[in-house]
Amino acid sequence: MARPGTLLVTRPEQRLRLLPTNWYKAFVILLAVVWLTVPINLSDAWLDVLARCGVAAIGAIGLNLLTGYTGQISLAHAFFIAIGAYTAAWLGVRSDLPFLLWLPATFVVGALVGALFGPFALRVRGDYLAILSIGLLYIGQHIFVNWTSFTGGRPGTSTGAPAAIGPLDFADLNLFDQAYSRRQGLFWLVWLVVAIVALLARNIVRTRPGRAMQAVRDRDVAAEVVGVSNARYTISAFALSSGLAAVAGGLYGVVALTVSPADFGGAPGLLLSVQYVAMIIIGGIGTIGGAVAGAVVVVAIPRVIEQISNSVAIPFVGPGEPISLFAFNNMIYGALVIVTLVFEPRGMVAGWERVKAYWRTWPLAD
Amino acid sequence: MSTPPRKPAEAGRPLLEVSDVTLRFGGVSALTDVSFDVAHDELFAVIGPNGAGKTSIFNCLNGVYHPQAGRIRLDGVDIMGRRPAAIAAMGVARTFQNLGLFTNLDVVENLMLGRHHLMRTGYFAGAVWFGRARREEVAHRARCEEIVELLDLGPYRSRPVGLVPYGVQKRIELGRALAMEPRLLLLDEPVAGMNLEETEDMARYVLGARHELGVSMVLVEHDMHLVMDIADRVMVLDFGQVIATGTPAEVQNDPAVIRAYLGQAS
Repeated sequence: MARPGTLLVTRPEQRLRLLPTNWYKAFVILLAVVWLTVPINLSDAWLDVLARCGVAAIGAIGLNLLTGYTGQISLAHAFFIAIGAYTAAWLGVRSDLPFLLWLPATFVVGALVGALFGPFALRVRGDYLAILSIGLLYIGQHIFVNWTSFTGGRPGTSTGAPAAIGPLDFADLNLFDQAYSRRQGLFWLVWLVVAIVALLARNIVRTRPGRAMQAVRDRDVAAEVVGVSNARYTISAFALSSGLAAVAGGLYGVVALTVSPADFGGAPGLLLSVQYVAMIIIGGIGTIGGAVAGAVVVVAIPRVIEQISNSVAIPFVGPGEPISLFAFNNMIYGALVIVTLVFEPRGMVAGWERVKAYWRTWPLAD
Repeated sequence: MSTPPRKPAEAGRPLLEVSDVTLRFGGVSALTDVSFDVAHDELFAVIGPNGAGKTSIFNCLNGVYHPQAGRIRLDGVDIMGRRPAAIAAMGVARTFQNLGLFTNLDVVENLMLGRHHLMRTGYFAGAVWFGRARREEVAHRARCEEIVELLDLGPYRSRPVGLVPYGVQKRIELGRALAMEPRLLLLDEPVAGMNLEETEDMARYVLGARHELGVSMVLVEHDMHLVMDIADRVMVLDFGQVIATGTPAEVQNDPAVIRAYLGQAS
């Protein structure tokens, strides 16, 4: 499959290809085929899980841009996801704006709020920033419970915003005289957005703004000395990350149909934020593909375990046993984070690179 | 290698004018009334015993420190009090004594960051890719490849720079500074920790860069042989004060310099 043209680099332009070899092209085509055929072959329950995986993938790409690429640790991701969900409810449900308007607007609102928080990162770094960002979750909890006209208060609000792009209503899809369920449509829609966000994010990180973000992460003083403004790129990374978190929140609302402060305020919010950190660690810090892979693993594993426990009895786990299913799930993903950090600190993507390197040099390497 | 078009050096006006710069940290004076000029295309060296204030001068020149008094002008424009990123954009490049590379990025990405201030792609154009972002990437990568060639960095091109040998890292940092297409290049101990062979290589790269790109340089260095070999003029600092400025031959025989380095004969 490797032709000389793809192995020998003769012009600088060749290094800039997003899909440098035919293997990459084949992989993307395979993904597209999987995307098209999965909803036809899976049950609605699994499609719901996968749609939630896709929503998390968008949020995880956002967090990886901030934490993996710019080096800013934030535990406020759930806060921005909540902002997105409530904004989508407000614009999409109550103002009845179409999908192509409310989704970008959600990004803008999330980005603006994120940009307001960004300057704190210029004063406080590392672990201290993480602690500071927890404060935002509790401020959020207060706002979500008390600003009832916007959020619906403690009982929450209905978030089934429109999901139609032109004539294609993904919430109620009819194609070629064939009706598709809401779950099928939403799978297609969510993963379409994942693909677009992943492509845009990939383009950002390989061009000037993305390099600047990584310069700030690696050496902030040196970045400033070569002409990269720390303030500009730290704040804009917060805006970008929060904007994507808000998009994830908006889509989460469409999938879940209703949200309440119990989803993302205070302690549940902290748990959700930590899960997002786990996604990018397990998938791969500072990679776009890793964010997606990590999101799928972290979101899907509890459901997979749930399914298994329905048919096979796991010892000591389940109703009436010493360990509840919820606690068991938390233990599994905690174990995953530990195993990743010990054996492959750079995540699933690095593991995959290792496999690739092995086959490329086979049988010379062991 | 194409040399960027530059204005002919104006006879009277030096590129860099530093006058009476004083820098204090609390009660400690790091620099006292330091004045010097660097002409266009000159290689100007700053030497002095440890703690004399050499690196502090660099930190003042590129805006990391803000001196309490004095004036620093680049081509007649006052640059004192500006932020480092702004001064970098005006054409002042710098290398670090203890390396300031972006260790997770590869050689070309580090060089491309040197060209950050010459590029315009923002988030939006970058995300779209086709159009400005692609055009800029192609054009600026071509310039970086020239520097990769000039400094023999080809074999390391696509490795994270944190993983290449120390001597090569020093060279990459020189490359990143050159990629900025600076008018003034500040080299902070480019051969610190190098053996004789590596030092000679580095001297060749510095002189090669000067010859090909015609950039003015200020060099801080402890290696006296190197300084005396390649500098046009030398300034000697001791305890934050200028004790001599002149050609290498002049300062070598200056009694004040000998006293600073060897101590007072009694």
